[in-house]
Amino acid sequence: MSVLCKGGGQAGCQALVNAALDKYGQLDSAFNNAGIGGESNPIADTGAYYSKWFRQDQMNSKNNNQSTMDVITTEGLTKKFGDEIAVNSLTMQIPRGTIFGFIGPSGCGKTTTVRLLTGVYEPTSGRLSVLRKNPIDFTKSDRERIGYLIQQFVLYPELTVWENLNFAASFYGVSPFRRGRLNRLLDFVELSGDKYKLTRDLSGGMKRRLNLAATLVHNPELIFLDEPTAGIDPILRRKFWDYFKELQAEGHTLFVTTQYVGEAAYCDLVGVMYEGKLLMIETPDGLRRRAYGGDVVGIRTTEGMRHEQRIQLESLPFVHGRVQVIDDQETDVIVDEANSAIPSLMEWCRAQGLTVETIEEKSPPFDDIFVKIIETEAAHV
Amino acid sequence: MFKFLIRISSFMGKELTGILRQPRLILTLVLGPFLIMFLFGLAYPDQNRALRTTFVTTNPNAFQEEMKLFTDSYSPTIVDQGVETDKELALSRLARNQTDLVIVIPDAPFESIQNNQQAKLQVYHNEVDPFQIGYIQTIANIYVNEVNRQILQTVTEQGQEDSGSLQSGLETAITKTQALRQAMPPGDANTTQVTELETDLTDLHENLTTFRSLASGVLINPFAVETHGLSSIQFTVTGFFAPSVIVLLLQHLSITFAALSIVRERNSGIMELFRVAPITAFETLVGKYLSYLFLEIILASVITALAVWLLKIPMLGHWQDYALAMVILLFTSLGVGFLISLISETDTQAVQYSMLLLLASIFFSGFFLDLRLMREPITALAWSLPATYGIRMLQDVMLRGYSVPGVIFLGITIIGVGLFMVDWLLLRRKMES
Repeated sequence: MSVLCKGGGQAGCQALVNAALDKYGQLDSAFNNAGIGGESNPIADTGAYYSKWFRQDQMNSKNNNQSTMDVITTEGLTKKFGDEIAVNSLTMQIPRGTIFGFIGPSGCGKTTTVRLLTGVYEPTSGRLSVLRKNPIDFTKSDRERIGYLIQQFVLYPELTVWENLNFAASFYGVSPFRRGRLNRLLDFVELSGDKYKLTRDLSGGMKRRLNLAATLVHNPELIFLDEPTAGIDPILRRKFWDYFKELQAEGHTLFVTTQYVGEAAYCDLVGVMYEGKLLMIETPDGLRRRAYGGDVVGIRTTEGMRHEQRIQLESLPFVHGRVQVIDDQETDVIVDEANSAIPSLMEWCRAQGLTVETIEEKSPPFDDIFVKIIETEAAHV
Repeated sequence: MFKFLIRISSFMGKELTGILRQPRLILTLVLGPFLIMFLFGLAYPDQNRALRTTFVTTNPNAFQEEMKLFTDSYSPTIVDQGVETDKELALSRLARNQTDLVIVIPDAPFESIQNNQQAKLQVYHNEVDPFQIGYIQTIANIYVNEVNRQILQTVTEQGQEDSGSLQSGLETAITKTQALRQAMPPGDANTTQVTELETDLTDLHENLTTFRSLASGVLINPFAVETHGLSSIQFTVTGFFAPSVIVLLLQHLSITFAALSIVRERNSGIMELFRVAPITAFETLVGKYLSYLFLEIILASVITALAVWLLKIPMLGHWQDYALAMVILLFTSLGVGFLISLISETDTQAVQYSMLLLLASIFFSGFFLDLRLMREPITALAWSLPATYGIRMLQDVMLRGYSVPGVIFLGITIIGVGLFMVDWLLLRRKMES
């Protein structure tokens, strides 16, 4: 469903997304090949990683368009409230057309970052560029390119759904001939049947959807969504992410903050924030790998693995760290790359006289990944 | 420019719809002020307060006629509650609020006068309100003047009556003098003296005739006073207060609406969205001003129509002057309301500030106490309130038939524009910082 992309922009936008993801894929490999992983200091590495990638990208591409691709760039972005550091030296680039998930526990600085990026706050130090401009210097036309969904419901309870949407459209300066567009937006957030309902009579989920529609009313190219799914049920959360995917498909760039770690799976890139610091930016897969030091492969054998066999397994060159015993028959191992390691592991089992019942790549839940990252990374803070 | 208008229209539409969505509020806004004026008119009759009066005298029969005459003359201001001979009993009734005034007549007033002393009437009341005390003192003075007048009139009438026998004696003397003059031989040296005596007696007789022919009332009250206002209309209490009530109510409504408008938005968190959105503080403020001005003008029109056509409040001036005064009053009041909204942290605080301003307006705007009675430095406070200007403008237009006074209009316009600028700067600081 094409709701927001004008004309034939959708294909172009999608191409940009794909290009960005390809770059991140290459980057990820380069990152692993360069040996930048769990053994180095990932926090210090995050900025270096990005600048290295950025330089490499510039060097590799003669016809470089990276600067136009990045809708958000920050370098050493810091915000202090008195002595308290809310955002600490944040360095990142966010390519156009991505869904960027900004994940971290409550109070870690996500909303402050959004406020810095939208120009609500002025940074204490550091540099930032959003749509190639410092948000503090945004003109009206720059602001028309931005959508911002605030955490809480802020529209007017005494107005109907339609009136609220109209109000939002007016203050963004949308042409008065907008009825069709507003109707399509209400269709998009599935509120068409409730357009004449007073907003105070809406359920929490409906209010969220109205908030989202009001954020999109002026067709912004960069959308900041501050915890759009906080406090809503899993079904509606899923629906929201479907909306976000549709918006992305239409070429919008989404900056989404969330406390729900599991939502990282829906993002193209995930930034992990902890106590004001950006611990890392990764693809969801990369995040998993960074958490465990590689892919997790689960091996289930009929006979069960003896202690000496486990020690031998840990000494294999493509296996990292200690194997984890799940039960008598099942063992998890961390490998560089699951697809290439699984045949070697099956070969090793056969050599050991073990009958493999199942062997597969495991996808640990993002909750576990997040906890592991925080445990690992926080130790470096 | 087109987008500028669209953004302004966002707040105009939103504010108006938000208020019109509440029919009970609208009904209250239209009928409330009208009902207040109506009840105000009913509550205050166009006459002075009636004072229940008890007379105390040891000799009730001696003064019964004077007391009756007095109470009849000043009815219904004085309601006669009879005569008591026991002063303490009368005072205890006064303490129990069974009577409003106790007038004690001295035991032997005429003896005091004959002894070259004034006879003192004692008037007792149980009031604490300075205005009521003043009113009673005025009534007491009127009463004693009336008693004095009655006595003088009686004495004068007695004198006129007594002069009757004097006049007949004079007529006899004149006749005898004439006879004497005629009996005297011509060339008598005393003839001239007799003729002069006759002339003097004749003059005296004529003067006595004049004295007797004058009405005793004219003789003791040779001058009377009549007051005339420039206005051709005698205003009732409701008529006089109606412009002030309209001003106070509309000022309060404007201030309350505006005071709650921005503070609610600040508390809801939408201000953060405005900061990010392409709307400016100027557009927001203009949108809000226009919406509330539009609404308040409609309210003012309905209230004025009800007051003029239903309550028969006089409207001696031109409607365009009235409209001009009303628009500038509403504009300035909205400025005050938005200022309150921008400096208040909560709804409650905004409502409290609005109520304080209403109180200040009641006491200092000249609503019921004339500004000319106010001490000089305090008048600065009075002239900082939109209601002060509004009352002056509406009284001049409605009750005197004048145009809007130029200096007053200039004063309120300066305040209104100043408030708009301050509101704009404050809102800009909150929205665009």
